[in-house]
Amino acid sequence: MSSDQDHLKETDTEARFEFKKEEKSAFETGKGLTEETIRVISEDKDEPEWMLERRLRALKQFQQMPMPDGWPGAPDLSEVDIDQIVPYIRPDIETRGGADSWEDLPEEIQDTFDKLGIPEAEKNALSGVGAQYESEIVYQNMQEQWEEKGVIFCDMDKAVQEHEEIVKEHFMTKCVPPSDNKFAALHGAVWSGGSFVYVPEDTTVEMPVQAYFRMNSEGMGQFEHTLIIAEENSEVHYIEGCSAPKYSAFNLHSGGVEVFVGEGAHVQYSTVQNWSKNTYNLNTKRAIAEADGTMEWVSGSMGSKATMLYPATILKGPGATDNHITIAFAGEGQNIDTGAKVYHNAPDTKSTIESKSISKDGGRTNYRGLVHIADGAENSSTSVECDALMFDNDSTSDTMPYMEIQEQKVDVAHEATVGKIGDEDVFYLQSRGLDDDDAKQMIVAGFIEPITEELPIEYAVELNRLIELEMEGSLG
Amino acid sequence: MSTQVHANLTAEQVAQISEELGEPEWLLETRQDALAALEDLDMPDVIKTPGREWTNLDALDYETLVDPLDHAQEKDRVDAEGVDVLSWSEALDTHGDLIEEHFGSVVDPQRNYLTALSTALFSAGTVVYVPEGVDAEDVKIRTTMNSRSLFNYTLVVAEESSSVTILERQATGDDAKPVDEGRYYSGVVEAVAGENAHVQYGALQNLSEETYNFSVKRGHAGRYGTVNWIEGNIGSRLTKTSVETRLVGDSSESQIVGAFFGHNDQHFDLGSRVWHEAENTTADLVTRGVLRDSARSVYEGVQDVGRDAWNTSSYQRENTLMLSDESEADASPKLIINNHDTEASHSATVGQVDEEDLFYMTSRGIDPEVAKNLLVEGFFVPVLEEVAVDELREDLQDLIAARLRE
Repeated sequence: MSSDQDHLKETDTEARFEFKKEEKSAFETGKGLTEETIRVISEDKDEPEWMLERRLRALKQFQQMPMPDGWPGAPDLSEVDIDQIVPYIRPDIETRGGADSWEDLPEEIQDTFDKLGIPEAEKNALSGVGAQYESEIVYQNMQEQWEEKGVIFCDMDKAVQEHEEIVKEHFMTKCVPPSDNKFAALHGAVWSGGSFVYVPEDTTVEMPVQAYFRMNSEGMGQFEHTLIIAEENSEVHYIEGCSAPKYSAFNLHSGGVEVFVGEGAHVQYSTVQNWSKNTYNLNTKRAIAEADGTMEWVSGSMGSKATMLYPATILKGPGATDNHITIAFAGEGQNIDTGAKVYHNAPDTKSTIESKSISKDGGRTNYRGLVHIADGAENSSTSVECDALMFDNDSTSDTMPYMEIQEQKVDVAHEATVGKIGDEDVFYLQSRGLDDDDAKQMIVAGFIEPITEELPIEYAVELNRLIELEMEGSLG
Repeated sequence: MSTQVHANLTAEQVAQISEELGEPEWLLETRQDALAALEDLDMPDVIKTPGREWTNLDALDYETLVDPLDHAQEKDRVDAEGVDVLSWSEALDTHGDLIEEHFGSVVDPQRNYLTALSTALFSAGTVVYVPEGVDAEDVKIRTTMNSRSLFNYTLVVAEESSSVTILERQATGDDAKPVDEGRYYSGVVEAVAGENAHVQYGALQNLSEETYNFSVKRGHAGRYGTVNWIEGNIGSRLTKTSVETRLVGDSSESQIVGAFFGHNDQHFDLGSRVWHEAENTTADLVTRGVLRDSARSVYEGVQDVGRDAWNTSSYQRENTLMLSDESEADASPKLIINNHDTEASHSATVGQVDEEDLFYMTSRGIDPEVAKNLLVEGFFVPVLEEVAVDELREDLQDLIAARLRE
């Protein structure tokens, strides 16, 4: 430790210039993770001292914590070597915190987002779109009417500067502490970019707030942080899309999402993720819901080599509600280990979990869930429903639910089914003139409909399109 | 692990047990190997979620609980025509080769610390041999435990096209010397069902509530074979039990039916597991339990469908009723599916006595306590209906009724 510090003193400023630079990025850290890297990231972002301290504490926790392996059926993480990851890349944009308008973005980035259909969505007068390219938000926009009501939607780095007190209170303190798991600790150390959403009391943001994350460089890690605070009786729907092209080296995505649902507030967090098939997607997402608050998670996990993701909700106040709707699709070489966690810590709380998974061409999907009903959480009810669809015999689908019930006045139900794609259904559709692929696609579309109907239309379309591409086996 | 027993357990003691039973050399060696392995073996797996181990088996003071040479029991064995129901000494004399072939072939003696301990120390037990083509309905084994610790080992071999129904009861004797620090009962059951053979094994555990009970029951079902288990757990302070079937032959079947009723501070750690390893196999797992006072249940059900298990049907249901706020019911019904030509489902529920049902009954003049008891008895009906052995069903019903009226 002390030699590290000595080293730092000597090299502090020079070190920053010694880091490898690539043409397309203004700044990036070198591979690997040391205290020095953290100091450099924090300094580059001009962060307050407390944030640097939090990062350094998280780094220590990361170094001390074991890998989350050894769970039955869990993805193999042996390839995840943090020393091979570039934890931070700032794209080459003159304006910190993003361009002022779409046209100011470099052509290449515009082009990428064009291909993803983001400008169209924006042109369609959505309330807000934030776009993160590598580690920084490059473009963000929100209609002025929401700003006037005091709604804040900006990137997380900017939030640290401009809304320091709110961030200081909520950032990885009560919801996702870095001690939660090894990758939450890593996230706490190297996080960069992400979204900050603040909705004041009694305010309803009628249009969804959207962010899109894209990882473009080989061998990088993306660690965006999303902090959503919905005050009493407010309402907001946040949508996040993620994607990355394919590279031969592995990438690591380790995001953190914290949602504070105030009394009587309603937050929906929807995400469609399609990371490239070399990406390890190891996220920590958690919400705390106060009395009568409602949290809704809607997620589609499509891409990645391995995903470990179990969005969690703590139902802290009486009458709080949580709904989870998830879909996972695993094709060749993929292991999607996902599920949901709900802690019923107060009376009259409700939760529903609806999980669907599809596995094909040797893909592996797992549902791993936990429902905890604490002593005193009277009249709580929960229902878990898992359905798995398997296409072939190379694929695997496991269901590992855990239920911990410490209170008698409850209503708990878990149900799961696994089945193959119905030969009769395929035959029926074929006999009406559809070819085999179209018939199967149609069956899958029907299978996942409960998920797509919860998403705004353009995301539902995107999800359907992604599944079509997967079914055709044409996604690289 | 200073709490474990192997520190003061000697090879001489094991040899003495073996000698008393008149065992052949190979069995003594198996025991001695198990004894030697204790050093390196872990406790049986228990369910763990981050920060929580659902049953803590390390907390038991095995050294105090287990006295290798003190074993006292009464054993009743009722045989049926054409079936050999024998003590170990008798069985080793008459069916030595058969035992050598099958002993430890279903339950690995070194599967974990507690099975190895059972293998090294068992002195009580029964061998049931059902020759080819014999049908037997009424084999009964009653074990009454009169000592501090008792290790029971049961081996069932049902040859081709035979069938047998075995009913086992475990209880603590009235004459058992009183103990302060608890008792330890260990039961291992291995069942081999040959081609087209049907084994039905019902067990009713009603040990005294100072008893720590560890049991493993596991069967192999051959082609067209059936292994059915019925498991009733009423007694004991802590029970860690696993009931398992490997469907190794094509078109084999298994049903595992469980019922439990916990009160005071009883702890039940119950496992039901089935492995589909061949084609056209069917499994049905049904468990229902009731918890009162500060009793706790941990249930893990696993349906494992292997890669070659084409055309599998596998079903699981687990329901728990909680009658008090201090009780806790944990459940994890797992599906592990490696073959897509599978129909599998599982469901689990935890709930309380339905308020509306209760209101309906009390509004018709039934005393609330009586009404609640009726509803609890009614809750067990779907499981009792699955109990194909009349006598076991009636016994179970009586024990449930008795507990309700305590």
